[in-house]
Formats: sequence, structure tokens, C-alpha cells
Amino acid sequence: MYSAPESMPLDMPTFHAEISLPYTLTPGGAAGTFLAEMKNRRIVGSRFANGEVVAPAQDFSASDGEPMASFVEVPQTGEITAFTRVDGTIIAFIKLDGCANEFPHRVLGDLDAVRIGQRVKAEWDDGVENSILAIKGFVIAEDAAVGTVSDLPEPEEAIGSLDYALALPYEHAYGPYYGRMFDEIKGFGRVMGVRTADGDDALLPPREIDDISHTPTGTWKTCADTGTIRGCSIINMEFIGQTKKPPYVYAEIVLDGASTRLIHLIEIDDVEFAKKNIGPGTRVRAIWTDGERKGSMADIERFEVIEE
Amino acid sequence: MALGKVAVVATAQTELRPLWGEAQHIDLISAVVTSVFKGSGFSIDDVDFVIDSGSDVLDGRSISNCGFLGALGAHRKEEARVEADGIWALQYGVNKIRSGASSVGLIVAYSKPSESLVENYWASQVEPFYQRPVGFSQRAAAGIQAQRYLADRGCSERDLAELAARRWADAKAHANVQIGDVPDAEAILASGESALPLTELMMARPVDGAVAMLIVDESSARRAGNNPVFITGMGSGTDCHAYADRDPLKLASLEGAAAMAARAAGWSAQQADVVELSAHSVVGEMLAMDVLGLDEGKTAINRSGGALPADPIMATGLCRAAEAVRQLREPQLYGGGAPSRAVVHGAQGVGMQNNCVMTLEV
Repeated sequence: MYSAPESMPLDMPTFHAEISLPYTLTPGGAAGTFLAEMKNRRIVGSRFANGEVVAPAQDFSASDGEPMASFVEVPQTGEITAFTRVDGTIIAFIKLDGCANEFPHRVLGDLDAVRIGQRVKAEWDDGVENSILAIKGFVIAEDAAVGTVSDLPEPEEAIGSLDYALALPYEHAYGPYYGRMFDEIKGFGRVMGVRTADGDDALLPPREIDDISHTPTGTWKTCADTGTIRGCSIINMEFIGQTKKPPYVYAEIVLDGASTRLIHLIEIDDVEFAKKNIGPGTRVRAIWTDGERKGSMADIERFEVIEE
Repeated sequence: MALGKVAVVATAQTELRPLWGEAQHIDLISAVVTSVFKGSGFSIDDVDFVIDSGSDVLDGRSISNCGFLGALGAHRKEEARVEADGIWALQYGVNKIRSGASSVGLIVAYSKPSESLVENYWASQVEPFYQRPVGFSQRAAAGIQAQRYLADRGCSERDLAELAARRWADAKAHANVQIGDVPDAEAILASGESALPLTELMMARPVDGAVAMLIVDESSARRAGNNPVFITGMGSGTDCHAYADRDPLKLASLEGAAAMAARAAGWSAQQADVVELSAHSVVGEMLAMDVLGLDEGKTAINRSGGALPADPIMATGLCRAAEAVRQLREPQLYGGGAPSRAVVHGAQGVGMQNNCVMTLEV
């Protein structure tokens, strides 16, 4: 392994993970107003001091950074200036009548009818609000009259924030070192690390290169499932990403025979008891799950304090 | 006080593959960080700072470099993460040495796009109110760029396929890239539609891999185990975020970056012997060649195959630099000659919004 990872292509299982985050997006004045006006089926643009109109509305000019002067209602007709098709959806740049800019949106219909300079008009989607997708897309409108920009003295109040979510799935490779560590946990219920370059204590998780000396690590070693807390925090509030309901103790534990800290949880019933009795130096033991081990750190259900 | 000169004294790269299923990021990083010192005349103890490039979104963890510090050789050293293509990490490192603050720097870039959905990564780069909902993203930008380019230059899809086929063949012949059968122009045209008129094989192929580069000041370069390659010019630039607002038939930020690098070097890309370009699609590569005024008959362009056959997103530009170093040092591997000047290029962002250019000389 050392100088290059395994060269033989192997079909290895992966570790599935997902990062799923909730957001509240702040569209700001221009986009917030544009989105708020979607329910009125009006397309809001921005007029700048130099007279240029840009749609969808922008707080600042993309070309020179000047702030917008006023909101306007722009026509729902325009022309295609460029197009492509991605996953079966035609995506085009649309230049609405009276506007200086182009923006991307969908074109509904047949690709054969799409060409540069093609006249189009917006098609609305009932039931969609607060999204640019209230405009379902643009449809071919050969004879659509050229529209004009009009003032919009009293637009809807801008939307302050929008709920949004982004979920990113992953298939992580274990690699040779984590791979064996999890295999050992699954198959034998033991925690194995590799020795440091110059000592007997094991690095957990195991790795090819010793962090401190940047030299190859030593041989594999089984660590005990007992150890000593070297750092901890009593968690008594809820937050996103927790795997366990509070209260519990987040603990950094050095297993006997290891040189590095393992992060795990200690179950507690009573916060006051934990404050007095759990801290750096406290001896703990792993409590393994009943049932079949899966080859994961969760096969150790928790740690508990060794009463001495 | 004049700024100091900076040399590349060693590079190392793993094979670039569509899937490194049996290695973690740290395994790939350990491999190149260990290899880069071999025969270089330097060891990890000589390194003053480590700068690494990677993407938290692609890696699936925030501040992912924190988990890689040991593999990076950064234990108790100055370390910084550049959340951009590796060529910007190199630019940062060169400036640290030029300023006199440090002597020896290790630059590392890595990528494992196989672990995530690259489409999500691209989608995360576009604006969420107007662009993301309608499906505008990296691929759509490349398709629109291509449609306009073909209309303007009067070339055909076959022209695109032929260039892409040459790049795949070059990668197979010269670069450390995992490739089965080299696709010919027919196969490239026949591959599925990615973003009309571009087919899948006309887009850069995401691959896994890592690359490391050791850079040093001029006096340290005297003890290098191999010919030092000097970085004599650098330039970078950013275009506006909305792709629709850019000049569609130019890469304005590449133009500016190339001019900046040429001013420092005293020569421009047309006078280079070797050019290594990054592009997100075959048309992006053609545009870059046009902007730099390059002629494939006169200059060796992307003898490594470039980014089309192998795009380790976030490491691509640093791979270009490593490839150019190899071509300047070992021209016999590329059919001989005595090349002395190279231009390397990195690009990132939707529709190649950001560009960075460097000049290398031996």
C-alpha cells in the first residue's frame, strides 16, 4: 500500500451516508419581490438608473454593481437567445421584451420548433407560488406581439425567507485500514488499531501513515474495550444531528492499549450525578449491542463507568 | 525588494480512475505525499507549510481537511485549505514563498467525486432562486456554450468529437489515467446526450485521484534532486456569476488571467512549447485555445489528454501543472525535443467562471 494504493480493482462495499440540511434562504428585496409577485402572475424586473431593465429582478446590476432604481412589470413575451437540452428538458436563455438581459428557463414543447430568435411566451402553473416555477416554462408563440415594460408602483411585499432543504447522499469507500477495523468489529467484536511508527500503543482509527512522524505505521494490535476518559461534555440540550436523546455524555476515550481518543457516548440518568462522577480520568467500559454486529462504531452501543 | 523566484522540484500523482473504490481520501493523499519526496532532495521535515485543495461538498464533511492533516504531512505545520481547484492552492503557495515568508511548500489536491452525486455538487454552485429550480447548472451552461460556439464558428459536432477522441488517445498514451477502450470520434458522437449538442464523452469525465507538488525558493532549488521548473508568471480572474450575463464567445476571465501571467513572464501562451488546459467540455477547451491564440499545429496542447478524459474536480488544474512539469523535464517521453516553456491553466465555476494561468520555465 505504502507508496500507492492497491492497484487491483476490487468491488468493495461502501459506507452510505447522507448530509441532509434544512435552510431558510433569504431572497432579499429584488428576488423576494419577484417571488411574491408570482401568485399575481406578474414578472417583476428591475430598472436601473441608466434606464436598463433587467428581469428577473436584481438588487444590483450584474455588470456594474449599481443598485436598482425601481421595480417594473416586464412583458411575458420575448425570444430565445440560446438553448440546450439536459435530461430531456429544454433549457434556454430567454430575453423578455424590453429587457437588457437574458436568463435561463425551461422551454415547453418540441425541440424541432426551438431556434435562436424564436418568439415565446410564459406559461403559468396554477398552484405554484413563491417560486420561479410558477412560470412552468415558455411556449412557442410565433405571433406574440412585442410587449412593453410598465411601472410597478406598489409591488407585493418581498418574501422574507423561504424554507429550503438540500440532501446530499454519499457512498464512502472504507479503504484498507478502516475496512479491516470494521471487519474486526463485525466478525470478532474487537477494536483493532495499528501501532505508531515508534511505539506499542495503537492509533485508532488505523491508518497507513503516522500523523506525527509521517512514516509508515506499525503492525496491527487489538485494543481493550475498556479505557479512560480524556475529555468529555455533558449534553443536555437537543440539536440537529444527534443520534441520542439528551442527556448523555459525549466522551473522548483512550482505550487501553491505544494512543488516540475514540469518540463515543456515555448514558446517564442524572445530570448532577454525571457532573460529580464523570470527567477526565474516569474509567469506562464498552457495552456492545445485543443482536448481530453490523461492522460499525454503533456496534458499541455506549460506554459505562466502571465502578471501582 | 524584488520578489523571489519559486521552483517546482517534485510532483506525484495517483492513477486517476472513475472509481477508487478501495481507497479513502486519506489513502490517496498518503500515497502522493509519501511519493513526492522520493528522489527530490527534500523530506517532510523541510516543509514549512502545506496547502490543500478539495471540496467539503464532494467529500461529504465540513472542514474535511481537518481529518486529512496527518496524511497531508501537516502535523504541527502551517496548513491552509483552498476550497478551489488546486492551481489556486499552488498560486497561494508560490506567493507565500515569493514574499520571503517561507522556503518549502507542499501543495496537495485530491478528489473522490465517485463518493457523491456530482450533479448535486454542480447544482449547489448555482443561485437558488432563479437558476437552480429551472435546472440550470454546469451541464446546461456547457450545452449553451457549445450551441453558440458551433453557430458562431461554423464547426460541426464531428469536429468536437475528433478533438475529444485525440484527447482520450493522448491520455491513454501519456497520462496516468485509467482508460479501457479509447473512444474514437464515432463512439464519442454515439455516446448519450449530455447537454445538447454535447454528448457524454464531450464532457469532462469526473475521476478520483490525488496530486502533490513540492515548491521551493530559488536557493533551496539548488539542492533539488531533479531539474527545477520555475514558475515565472501567474494570473487569475473571475467573471460575473450569472452565466447569461457573460460574453458567450469569450472567456473574459481567462483572457485577463493569461495577460497577467504573460506580463510577469515576458512571453505569452503562443510562445509556449507545452500547454496544459483544463475545461469542463470539449467546447470549453476550444474556447480556451481560441482565447489564448493557440494553434495545435505549433504548440503541444494537452499531451496528457487534459480534463476531458480525467477531471479530478478540485485537483484538475494542479494535475495540469504536474503534467507540464513532467513534459518539460522528460521530453523524451513525449517524442523528444527541447521544450523550455509551458503554460498551465485551471478553471472552475459554472461555465468556467474562474480561470488561473501560470507560466513554467526550465
